[in-house]
Amino acid sequence: MSGASPLVFVVDDDLSVRKSLTRLLEAAGYLVEPFGSAREFLAREPHLGACCLVLDVRMPGLTGLELQERLVAEGRRVPIVFVTGHVDVPKSVKAMKAGAVDLLTKPVDAKDLIAAIQRAVAKDVEDRSAETRVAEVRQRVKLLTVREMEVFALVVTGMLNKQIAAALGIGEKTVKVHRARVMEKMRAGSVAELVRLADEVGVIVPKS
Amino acid sequence: MLEERLRFEALLSELSAGLIHVPATEIDAALASGLQQVALFLGVDRAHLEEYVGGEPTVRLTWALPGLDEPPSVMDVDQFPWSSDTLRSGRAVRFSRIEELPEAAAIDRASYARTGTRSKVSLPLRAGGAMLGVLSFGSVRRRFAWPDELVERLHLLSQAFASALERKRMELSLAERLRFEKLLSSLSVAFSHLSAGEFDREIQRGLRQVSDFLRADRGSLIEFSRDGTTARSWAIEEWMDVGEFPWMTARLQRGDTVSFSQLEEFPDEAAVDRQSYLAHRVKPQVAVPLLAGGTVVGGLVFSAVGTERAGSDELIQQLHLLGEVFANALSRKQTDLEAQRLRQDLTHIGRVSALGELTASLAHELRQPLTAILYNAQAAQRLLRADVVNLDQMREIMSDIIADDKRADDVIQRLRVLLKKGDPEFVPLDLNEIVGEVAWLMRSDAIVRNVPLSLDLAADLPSVSGDRVQLQQVVLNLVLNGLEAMREPHTGPRTLVIRTARDGEGAVRVEVQDSGPGIDAKVLDHMFEPLYTTKAEGLGMGLAIVRTIVEAHGGKLGAVSNAEGGATVHFTVPVETEGKQ
Repeated sequence: MSGASPLVFVVDDDLSVRKSLTRLLEAAGYLVEPFGSAREFLAREPHLGACCLVLDVRMPGLTGLELQERLVAEGRRVPIVFVTGHVDVPKSVKAMKAGAVDLLTKPVDAKDLIAAIQRAVAKDVEDRSAETRVAEVRQRVKLLTVREMEVFALVVTGMLNKQIAAALGIGEKTVKVHRARVMEKMRAGSVAELVRLADEVGVIVPKS
Repeated sequence: MLEERLRFEALLSELSAGLIHVPATEIDAALASGLQQVALFLGVDRAHLEEYVGGEPTVRLTWALPGLDEPPSVMDVDQFPWSSDTLRSGRAVRFSRIEELPEAAAIDRASYARTGTRSKVSLPLRAGGAMLGVLSFGSVRRRFAWPDELVERLHLLSQAFASALERKRMELSLAERLRFEKLLSSLSVAFSHLSAGEFDREIQRGLRQVSDFLRADRGSLIEFSRDGTTARSWAIEEWMDVGEFPWMTARLQRGDTVSFSQLEEFPDEAAVDRQSYLAHRVKPQVAVPLLAGGTVVGGLVFSAVGTERAGSDELIQQLHLLGEVFANALSRKQTDLEAQRLRQDLTHIGRVSALGELTASLAHELRQPLTAILYNAQAAQRLLRADVVNLDQMREIMSDIIADDKRADDVIQRLRVLLKKGDPEFVPLDLNEIVGEVAWLMRSDAIVRNVPLSLDLAADLPSVSGDRVQLQQVVLNLVLNGLEAMREPHTGPRTLVIRTARDGEGAVRVEVQDSGPGIDAKVLDHMFEPLYTTKAEGLGMGLAIVRTIVEAHGGKLGAVSNAEGGATVHFTVPVETEGKQ
């Protein structure tokens, strides 16, 4: 995104692995922040820029998978590259389903690891821009009045003004006024565009 | 004349009656006195009694006027062939002049003349058809007539002497047999409870006892191995290498008894043996094979140096009986060795299977340093591409790589020690160190199981005497069991504590405390028995092996359910005492 190097968090309980991995990633041009345990990482405030997490699966205390669960639960979205000693299929599946970018087996070749980190950072950047846009559309929705919100929800289902008026028990003219306001506040040029915006933020509230 | 005859008859009947009541040990003295009385009565100047001893004629009792030489044995076939034959056939030899002897006795005549014998009467001493000896009266100073009547009386005397000799022999052989039976039973008792450590010493003692009994100079026990090639031996006095006696060894291995009294008896193919016997100055020898379950397991060999004593049938029979006792000892030793080997195998299997449970975590232990090495090496590769290389950083990377390499090697070494199969070696050990090593080994496994492993080690523990690997195995098994116990779904904290402490003055105690469900009272009674298991996939050997090891160390093993939940299993090992044997 910006010109700043992406930040790579390394969480591994083994000092020599942590130290050498940090060294390798720094040599590859990343900013690295190492942590000796999952709890130490959780204690750090969320990073705003592009980043990813290289996480050891097996650790004392909170394991890698448990850390992943906690991050998901707290809504902290960090792309994770798991590194594991041996491939445990059920655990791998669980990690990938929970959104892990990759799961690599130790000892990991630098090329594979860096490729995985690049993918993770790219995903983070992409996720972040999508997130920014959604946040903006949400802001527009917040400008709508309750009645406009009702009209918006029905318009995007494809109902005609007459049908909307009947459904809401108001006049057709009034529907037209509200509809125009919705289009204006949502900065939508057409009904089709309005439908796409509604889709992005998930505003659809069908009354059936 | 009549009066003299009556006096002689009275003397004879008195002697005969006296001999019947004399105890066996005094028979020789009674015979000597009788011999003298008769000689004096007859007025002869030489009288003697020869006896067969060990198949050889020996002059046992002699009476002679002062200044006269001891007479030669008339049963010596070389000097007195005719006399010897005559006596053996049960007849008396009688002459008042040498010339009276027949032509056939030419050699005898010469021998008598050489020894100055002028007149002589020799009577065979026979009992139960066996030749026991000869009674002789002779004269060197003057000729002596031997009237029939006198010879008849002397025959009566010879009968009384013969029965006394026979009684002596029987009683002596009975005493000998008793001595033999005592020897046999004392050896059987001594060999019946032989521990491996006592074996050599007791065998030596047994050989010594048998040698004393046989009056042999050397004795040895040879053990043949199963394949019949190599052999081991125990001996009293310096004994020779089995390899020096190929012929005898081969015959023993075939199950033959080898007995000789003279080296000349050896066949040509025994040339090597003969040389060795000559070199060791061994003359007579008897060797019997030892049989156990129909196979020859060894041999028992006794020999005398110098004197030539032949092995009689009776001796060989006795040796066969003694051989059985030695054979039993040998085969029991082999059984014990096999049992010991089996126990060792089992302990080894137990250890391997315990380590098998740790495979995943041990692989992890090995993979960590390897991963760090690879990361460091690849970091170095990248850093070396830069225009300016930071040498300090490179040095740091290199030393980290070396440290991790050592760490990986350490894992392999520790594993190798645990997987090693060998004889237990008792050395002074620090149990805290043993516990520490096992904790290190288990660290990763405990992490996976999510059980914190904590150590509570007493300071200043005295050393114990034990086998490092086996005691590690005991701790390993107990820790694995504790972790296993906590696999059961249960609430409450999951902790495993390994504790060391002194157990009185004489022992050190190691406890493994878990926070699992505890141990059922029913299980407590049986948990250290072989094949007892509560696990579906368990063999029930883990704790039984633990018990075997602890008991072999002279320690005790026990388990309790804790009041606060969980179980504690403990074992003790006696403190090492310096200078103990």
